[in-house]
Order: sequence, then C-alpha cells, then structure tokens
Amino acid sequence: MSVSAGSNRTKYSRALTSAVRAVVPFVIALVIGGTVLLATGHNPVEFYQLLVREAFGGTDRIAATLSAATPLLFTGLATAIAFRAGVFNVGVEGGFVFGGLIAATVALHAGLLAGMVAGALAGVLVSALPGWLKARWNVDEVVTTLMFNFVVSGVTGWLVTTFLQAKGVANSATTLIPQGSWLPDLLPPYGLTAGVLVALALVLLYALWIKHSVLGYELRQTGLNPRFSAAQGIRVGRVIIVSMLVSGAIAGLGGAAHALGVVHRFVDGFSPGYGFTGIAVALLGRNSAVGVTLGAVLFGALASAGTTAQLFSDIPLDIVDVLSGTVMIFAVVRLWRQR
Amino acid sequence: MITGLLTSALLLWTPLALAAMGGLLHRVGGVVNIGLEGQMLVGALIGALVSGATGNWALGVLAAAAAGGAVGLLMSLCVTRLGANEIIAGLGFTIVLSGLIGYLLRSVFDVSGTLRVPGLDPLPRVLGLDPLFLLAVVLVPVVAWSLRNTAAGLRLRATGDGFDAATALGIPANGIRDIAGTVAGTLAGIAGSHLVLGQVGLFNEDMVAGRGFIALAAFYFGRARPLPTALACLLFAVFDATQARLQTSGVPAQLIQTLPYLVVIAVLTATAVRDARGESRRAG
Repeated sequence: MSVSAGSNRTKYSRALTSAVRAVVPFVIALVIGGTVLLATGHNPVEFYQLLVREAFGGTDRIAATLSAATPLLFTGLATAIAFRAGVFNVGVEGGFVFGGLIAATVALHAGLLAGMVAGALAGVLVSALPGWLKARWNVDEVVTTLMFNFVVSGVTGWLVTTFLQAKGVANSATTLIPQGSWLPDLLPPYGLTAGVLVALALVLLYALWIKHSVLGYELRQTGLNPRFSAAQGIRVGRVIIVSMLVSGAIAGLGGAAHALGVVHRFVDGFSPGYGFTGIAVALLGRNSAVGVTLGAVLFGALASAGTTAQLFSDIPLDIVDVLSGTVMIFAVVRLWRQR
Repeated sequence: MITGLLTSALLLWTPLALAAMGGLLHRVGGVVNIGLEGQMLVGALIGALVSGATGNWALGVLAAAAAGGAVGLLMSLCVTRLGANEIIAGLGFTIVLSGLIGYLLRSVFDVSGTLRVPGLDPLPRVLGLDPLFLLAVVLVPVVAWSLRNTAAGLRLRATGDGFDAATALGIPANGIRDIAGTVAGTLAGIAGSHLVLGQVGLFNEDMVAGRGFIALAAFYFGRARPLPTALACLLFAVFDATQARLQTSGVPAQLIQTLPYLVVIAVLTATAVRDARGESRRAG
C-alpha cells in the first residue's frame, strides 16, 4: 500500500528517513522523561548530562555500557530476525530466561561449551511450538509467544526452587558455576565478557545472511508479503519455522552468555525484561544489523548509566523503563503520513 | 474449607472479571488489549491515593476509573490515529506505566515498592460482598445484552467484524474503537482499585502480578463472549485461591499459575485448527 511510492526515492533520502525515524522516538522519550523529571523537582538537563558521562566517560564506563548492551544485542537480534520474516515474536524473554537456566545447569556439570549449546537449544525449545503452530495452523503467534513467557517464568521459577536449587542457599538460585566454565572477561576489572564478541559475530552473520543468502532473501520476501512469496514458490511455512527457531536459539544463547558470563548461576528474576527491551531495540533499529547494534548500545548505555546515576543523584533507575517503553511506543507510531 | 475457598475465589474473581469485560469489549471492537496490566496498576495507585486523601472509597474508585480510562484512551489513540501496532503499544504502555509508578514511589513518596496510604477507606462489605463485586456481577449480563440488542453493540460488532466495511457504511469505526479502548481502560482501572481497596489495603508496585494478562487469557478462553469469559475468570480465580491454599502442602504454585496461559495457547490452537478445517471443507 505505502511501499510503491518508494521507487523514485534516492538511496540517500531513504537512509535519511530511516535515521530520522530512529532518532525521533528517542527524542520524544527524552522529552517525556524530562517532563517527569521536571515535575518531580529534578533538573533533566543535568541528569541527561550525568547519563552521558556515566555511559561513555572513560574506558571503564564504556566497558560497563557494552556489558549492559550485550544481552540486548542478543534479544534485539533474536526479535529482529523473526520480525524480518513477518513473525511477531514477543517471546524472546522466555527463550532468554530458559536458556539461562539450562545453560547454568549444564555448564555446572559439562563445562562452558556444552552450557552455551544447551542454552541455545533451550531457546529453540521455547520458540519451536509457537513457530510450528503459526506455520501449520496460522495460530496467532503474538499471543502464544507472549503466553509462553509466563509459562517459562513459572516453570523456571519452579525448577529453581526444587530440583535445581543450590543447597544451603536461601534464595532461589542454582549452584555457582566453577570459574573454569565462565565466559572469559575481556577487560578483567570491568566485567565485559566474551559474550559481547559472540553477540557481535552473530549480528555480522545476520547482516551477511539476510543480504546474501537464498534463505535470507526468502525471509525478507515472506516478511514483506507472505501471499506473494507463496505464489513465487517460497515455502512460507518453512521460512516462518526457521526464523522462529533461529530467533529462539539466539535468545537462548543470550541467556547462556548472561548466565555464564555475568551472573555465573541462574537466579529467579534473572532478566529484568531484556526480552522486552529487545523488542524496543529491534523496532528502533528497524530490524537491520547496524540498527540493532546501535539500539542495543543506546539502551545498554541507558541501563548502565542509570544504575550509577542512581548512586550520585536521588533519581531512581525506574526512569529508564519510562524511556525505553516510550521509545517502543513511538517507534511504531506513524507521526507523519506515509505516501 | 469449601466456603473459605469460595469466598476468596469470589474476591479474586472481581478484578479479573472487570478487566476481562473491558478487554472483551475492546476485542469485539477488533483490538487485542495488552495494556490491561498497566491500566490496572494505574487504577490501583490512583484508587489508593484518592481513597486515602478523601477518606471515601467511592471517590477512590471513581478516580481509578477516570485514570484507567484516560490511559485507555491515550493508548487507543496511538493505535487508531497513529497506526501503532496494538501489541507493541500495549506492551509499551505497560512498561512505561510500571516504570513511571516505580519512579514516583521512590522519588516522590520515598518508599521502595510498597506504599501505605494513611486514611485509606476500604470498600464496605455487605454479607462479605463488596460493591465492585456486585458491579462485576451486574456487568456480565448487561454487556451480553447490550452487545446483542443495542445500536451501540451492533456498531461495535460491525467495527470488529469488518473495519473497512463498517467505515464504508458510515460508521465512525476509529471513534468506536477509541470508546471501546476507553471503556476497557476504565474497567481495568476499577479492577485495579479493587485490588487495593477490596483486598490488600495498601499499594505495591507488583500487586497486579499478571492479572491483566490473565484477564486477556480469560476473554480469549471465553472467545469474547461475556458469560463464558466471566466463567473463565471464575476458573482462574479458583486456581488462584487453590494454589494459595495448597502452597503449604507442597503442590508447586508456580506450575498452577502457568495454567491460564497454557489454556490460552490450547484455545487459540483449537480455534485455528477448527477454522482451517472449516476453510478446507468449504474449498473442497
């Protein structure tokens, strides 16, 4: 409907449009966040300056930002791959959490590599059923994947208080993974792990795969117009399932990297909504590899700076949720008529 | 034992049924409302604050309704006028609202998570029942009747069944969706106020605890029909009351809590399979 008029546009102006589209939601979020800060007697300009300083001012802060961006690279990429195929997967949170639990458990007994693989497989497990239901019976994947998040949260919560709970620990957590099975730190004091390299490698693979492979082409076509793709001879059902399985694997791998690199165990409440922020990342980055990377770094910066800013000012970290939720809403809003 | 279970199930039923009726109306109008959770949370906070400030539960409930309705309208405008995807808008609003409320609790009220409101006026009780329970009970047949027999109900159904056709017939479909979204928010706001004023007596930022999503599950389970939806709410309320009681006897509460969500997946699958079979029969 609105795509046809794009043909006479130059490549340059299209790039500009997508840049504007990514910046506008963020600016609106800053304005709304600023209003909230003003209304509660804080100086938004000062706070935003503090955020920028805490996010990028120095090696240690940049390392903290990248470390906070790592889980979002995984969840943002996982969301983007499914979105690209036209599948609205909002179940990345579940894959991330389940991947984290399984990876933490397997790594405890079988080491780092087995833990990572098991985490990815656990993510696949979470996304397989909604993917198959969508492809085979056209069951609305938005609701099934959303519901699976709650199912996963219940099941992991149960497992971590029963069979998998560490002995002699009061809270719901698995046994601490021995140091030999941790993902190595890149910059030892700053908590930036090899997980970020894995994530960036995946983003690079995604960029190549989506542009230069047959399946990537089929994925994009299916996302643009499934009926036309089917008429072209693309097996749409297969493409949908593949995109969901890959999405789940990346989500699970993200959980594994978080468990083996950062937390070194699984605890109840393992993810403060990484999967949902991942949706905002994918939307803001318009599902492109570069966009997802920038989006993840941006939200990572917000999260890491928000945490330390909380120490220096009495501004609660919750303001970050206000910002990321606002970005999410305005990334899907059409503020001007598309022609 | 059974009476106790029934009483607490009915208490838990009220907010579910109120929110689910709102979500149902919105669904009949053609929008899946994922924002009920956030709207309930707003209703709970506003209900607590106003009830405490005025010492009057009715004003608290009215304020909660107004606040929920305002949020519902805002969310609906994003969907109808600005072309936002309803799922993303709903999730986004829920994230913004829970963040905003957490922020306000810490920044303005200086508490972490739990707010005790002095002078809070709880809902009155007649024979163990509260006015919002009665509201919910009355609402179910009223909604069922109105959808079937009033012009407003017909227009709402027309909007949901065929948005373009309704627009072509001169029905202001977007406006109708906005009204449905506002009503959904209003009812969710009232549902939230019931959690504070009818059940707990204080506000906690985690108090809605997925009830908005359970309400969503209920109207999916009830296939957007009022009586089955209300019964689904009752089923989920009984689950909830049972798991609270069974917790001490070692039955895993976390697993019971996943049942409503599994039920939705099963219902959606069954519906889709039936639809697909029907289609192939028609085609063959």
